[in-house]
Amino acid sequence: MAGADSPTAALQRRDLCARGIRLAGKMRADVVNLLDAYAERQGLDASASVAAVEGVPPAAVERWDEQTGTQRLLENLAAYRAFRALLAQMLEEHREQLGEADAALGRALAAVLLQVSAFAYHLEELLRLESRGPRGDEEEEEEDGPPPRPHGLFEQKLRGLGVLRELAQWAVRSARDLRQLAKPSPAAGSATGPAESP
Amino acid sequence: DVHMQYERVGADVTMKCGSMDWDAAVTWTVNGTDIDESHLNGSYLILKNVSVMQSGQYFCYEGSSWHLKYQTYLSVGTPPKEPVLMCRSNNYPKGFYCSWHLPTPTYIPNFFNISVIHGTKEMVCEKDAVPKNRCHIRYLQLFSTVKYKVTLTVTNALGKNFTTLTFDEFAIVKPDPPESVVAKPVPNNPRRLEVSWQNPSSWPDPESFPLKFFLRYRPLILDQWQHVELSDGTSHTITDAYAGKEYIIQVAAKDNDIGTWSDWSVAVHATPWTEEPKHLTTEAQITETTSASTSSFMAPPTTKICDKGAVVGSGAVAVCWTAGLVMAAYSVLFI
Repeated sequence: MAGADSPTAALQRRDLCARGIRLAGKMRADVVNLLDAYAERQGLDASASVAAVEGVPPAAVERWDEQTGTQRLLENLAAYRAFRALLAQMLEEHREQLGEADAALGRALAAVLLQVSAFAYHLEELLRLESRGPRGDEEEEEEDGPPPRPHGLFEQKLRGLGVLRELAQWAVRSARDLRQLAKPSPAAGSATGPAESP
Repeated sequence: DVHMQYERVGADVTMKCGSMDWDAAVTWTVNGTDIDESHLNGSYLILKNVSVMQSGQYFCYEGSSWHLKYQTYLSVGTPPKEPVLMCRSNNYPKGFYCSWHLPTPTYIPNFFNISVIHGTKEMVCEKDAVPKNRCHIRYLQLFSTVKYKVTLTVTNALGKNFTTLTFDEFAIVKPDPPESVVAKPVPNNPRRLEVSWQNPSSWPDPESFPLKFFLRYRPLILDQWQHVELSDGTSHTITDAYAGKEYIIQVAAKDNDIGTWSDWSVAVHATPWTEEPKHLTTEAQITETTSASTSSFMAPPTTKICDKGAVVGSGAVAVCWTAGLVMAAYSVLFI
């Protein structure tokens, strides 16, 4: 475990975090635009309250400031892997229902899916750095199978809204998580919250 | 017994003198002054179309003995109108506060009750000692898409009213303005001003929740502001100031990712560095000091603090240029 807190590892972590924060910022902007376009296309109110949708990882978290760096990365990674599967399903549904009729929306969905995949990969890199070794078990655990498909068209639309809305929240949370992770800490894996607890 | 009664503005009020018969001889007073008999119907006191001015302590005395038979405090007021409620987080991610007021006074005591619901959970809004019409809540969760619903009910003796606000966590984030704004001339640079400021002290963790800033400045002689948005750092050098002209400068802050811009900071004034005159006749000195536009030959002043600026709306992203207008205005000064 000697390399974990070396200057090289710390610099690598800061660099990866900085790039991740930029990725998250771009992703959020694109997701917000997509959310508005999606809601309009589906005839939904983007600001309407939507109950938690099964299979969509909620960004909401308690005691966020008390999480360790590793916890943050693991939760983020699990979320973005789930979003990757959900967005892939949404894209497939979109193509089945609309084909080329709304190519712009399809392209926007595909672009966000690409960013989510890239971000998940970025998180894996960070986790490897934090774990200070070869790929651990937690990184292999991803494939639980595709998420269950909603039965009806309306349920599909609602789920899509829920997916994009939570993804936008996650993008903000991820930037915050990475800033916490980028802070110099006495040991990797320890809590990196603010000095005073809320 | 001392009674209290509340009546609406414009109502007709009839006061009975306790258990005295209608035809008993009585005297009514208000705040120590006898009330004219024209307001009496037998022993009843009749007040028509009452106003707030008629609030006070009313006494009824038996005619000959001057025994006190009845007393009441009359408060004339109105039922509450819909209250004005505002919620804001200036200390994200710790929590948020809500504050309220009535749009018009009721002239009688009002009681406020606030409820905050997040999803199915009811949260406690702890009342602040000062100011009284404010309470604060700690966030139990962050990054939630579930909206908060805040309901404020106001009740007084004449009625009740309420208002409801629904918002999500990010929408109400609005930092306090930047603090300690300082603007200084840069020696030997007649077109530069160095501006620095600090994060608002109420913002608890600027490292994890960095702020971005919006700076606006203009010479006092012009109305058009120039704007600069700064994504990091708490200082900026203005490099296009007009030589010798006094500037007014303000800064606003916003969380890098969410929420809205703060109000503008307290305004500061500064004038760029100017060269000291080497030779001046007495007449030229008198002319300079009495001229309204001045400052070409004045020593650089220190920063002065002036009135608070207006609330900022949404921020522009780029530096604004109105070169033609500016040049025209500048030319006029030297005609």
